[in-house]
Amino acid sequence: MSEIPLPHRAKRVVPWWLLRHETMLAVILLIALIVLGGLNSRFLTLDNLLNQGRLTTEVGLIALPMTFIIITGGIDLSVGSIVGLCAILLGYSWKVFGFPLPLAICFSLLVGAAAGFLNGIVITRVKVPPLIMTIATLALYRGLAEGISQARSVRGYPEWFYFIGQENLFGVPAQLWLLLIAIVISAIVLDRTIFGRTLYAIGNNETAARFSGLPVDRVKLIIYTLSGLMAGLSACVLVSRVTTTRSDMGIGYELDVIAAVVLGGTSIFGGVGTIWGTVVGLAMIQLLKNGLALTGVKGDATIVVIGTVLILSTLVASSLQRRREGV
Amino acid sequence: MKLGFSAAFLSAALLAGTASAADKRWDGADDLPVNPLACSAGEANAAPAAKPYDGGRPTNAADKAGKPITLVDVPKLIGIGYFNATSKGMQDAAKALGNVTVKTDGPTEAKIDEQIKFIDNYITSGVDGILFAANDPVAIAPVLKKALSKGIHVVGYDANSAPDAREWFVNQAEFNGIAKAMIDSMAKEAGEDKSFAIVTSTFTTPNQARWIAEMWAYAQKCHPKLKWLETVEAQEDNNLSFNQATTLINKHGDKLAGLFGMTSVATPASAEAVTKAKLCGKVAVVGLATPNAMKPYVNADCVKSVVLWNPVDLGYAATYVMRAVVDGSLKPGATSVDAGKLGKLNVVNGSEILLGSPFIFTKQNIKDFDF
Repeated sequence: MSEIPLPHRAKRVVPWWLLRHETMLAVILLIALIVLGGLNSRFLTLDNLLNQGRLTTEVGLIALPMTFIIITGGIDLSVGSIVGLCAILLGYSWKVFGFPLPLAICFSLLVGAAAGFLNGIVITRVKVPPLIMTIATLALYRGLAEGISQARSVRGYPEWFYFIGQENLFGVPAQLWLLLIAIVISAIVLDRTIFGRTLYAIGNNETAARFSGLPVDRVKLIIYTLSGLMAGLSACVLVSRVTTTRSDMGIGYELDVIAAVVLGGTSIFGGVGTIWGTVVGLAMIQLLKNGLALTGVKGDATIVVIGTVLILSTLVASSLQRRREGV
Repeated sequence: MKLGFSAAFLSAALLAGTASAADKRWDGADDLPVNPLACSAGEANAAPAAKPYDGGRPTNAADKAGKPITLVDVPKLIGIGYFNATSKGMQDAAKALGNVTVKTDGPTEAKIDEQIKFIDNYITSGVDGILFAANDPVAIAPVLKKALSKGIHVVGYDANSAPDAREWFVNQAEFNGIAKAMIDSMAKEAGEDKSFAIVTSTFTTPNQARWIAEMWAYAQKCHPKLKWLETVEAQEDNNLSFNQATTLINKHGDKLAGLFGMTSVATPASAEAVTKAKLCGKVAVVGLATPNAMKPYVNADCVKSVVLWNPVDLGYAATYVMRAVVDGSLKPGATSVDAGKLGKLNVVNGSEILLGSPFIFTKQNIKDFDF
């Protein structure tokens, strides 16, 4: 298939229609932008678009490792709860343990990584399916967050801490830089490293990957840990943006994250997906929500539209796949 | 080994959590100072010292005095009876005023992050004023300050934000007033030395946390023998509230003599749980709720007191306050504001406008209300 511009890509690993799916999605996104921009003059302003970038960063940071995980055929439903746990421990270790705030941030990132590591170790060693394990820790981590916080919100962080959540750097929201860097790194890792290619191999055929001598368990352990770490990072950004720590932070994030990843063309069955697709998926959901809200569509109707877009895009993707396979 | 570390860490965190729980017999309250009222109505309360205006001010707001204005109302969540009622009050006021358009829009779940996004979008789309009921007083502050900085007027109702993030807050009833009404009713119905439990929304919801803190303070002062069993969370979720109330009944058995419902969802659900357990008359239910939801239980003599204010009036008052702010007739330092059919409402506590005393619905009067 000559459509594939990267000659080192094995055809079986990245099917040709994948690029088409994302291109198609990008085209839909473009059309949506033009239509919504025509309906409301304030939609396509730089100010609004950058602000949307700010609002989507927390979900975006988690969507990157989630892309890795879903490519391997796994899933991580505990990310929203890890956000809650990390947010609480950031505030708690600062206010109650008396850690200096930078140390508290490191501590909460470490906790995020540990929470992801626990997911990974049980999934790889005990062979608990990722869905079951992360549903369990979805409840466990949220319970810990609520138990530790005892419903107390932590407030009154020092002014410098609000930089990442609320300030601009060179005219762009500070957290958006973080997201951009994370996107570039994730894309390179997925596309240009042995580690990244191993993810596709695992997703396509885990047994074959094992027989090929690929370190399947170690790779899985790394991506679940990474997922926890990024959820921790997302928690720091979120706390900085909303200035207060609550134990109910991040509830439902897992669904937003998975929606963006799947909309971006990553197959829930594994083996297929790109960071580029996830980024388009993220932008699509956030800009649709924002554009519809600005045009005067109410909150509950917006959710209906997002749901419909998800179903339609999945339908189109699977019909393209069927055509390719000649079924 | 690494697994061991994670496990050790998690159990340490768990222990830390339970240890900190042990030194508090009650939960669900905030840590802010409390101000319990006097025990009997006869005793005089020390009048709170008049506070100077502590609200915020918009920068370069357009002069729309007497001109048509467009407002958006972002409650904690949409689709529940309580906020439908406040929304109705706003529409009534808009009709009465004639030059106000109000739209209610908000998240379908009471999530602070979602609420912030809604407000942010309305700042971008451009409105003259924002009415809000905060899911979190501090978390909502930056986005409200952003609105003020763009010249948009901001008035809160139902649940306050940090004072400097909005201009005025319409307070439906003072927290200590609600707390007194709740605790007095419970002591009267269940008995002075009985045990009770609380079904609340979430521990972090500001109103509920404030009420529980004031209830605790007032009970300590005036009904010290009342026993506090526990407070459970039930979101604003009907099923969960019913389940939590049923669990409390099963868990505490005969010890449980009363249930407080802290939300308009938890109270009828608790009453339903008591009815289903055939404990009417044995377990008293006292709580905040709208009359229509409570009529079956009050008429069946299962519930004697329902504490509330009129949420339709609350939305009505908030809209009048917003109009007065835009017109310039309500300025910092004012002591009262005209609220149409509600008459003059007083300014309390610097930048709050008080709707009135809490109202207790009983079998005698509940039939007169329909909301």
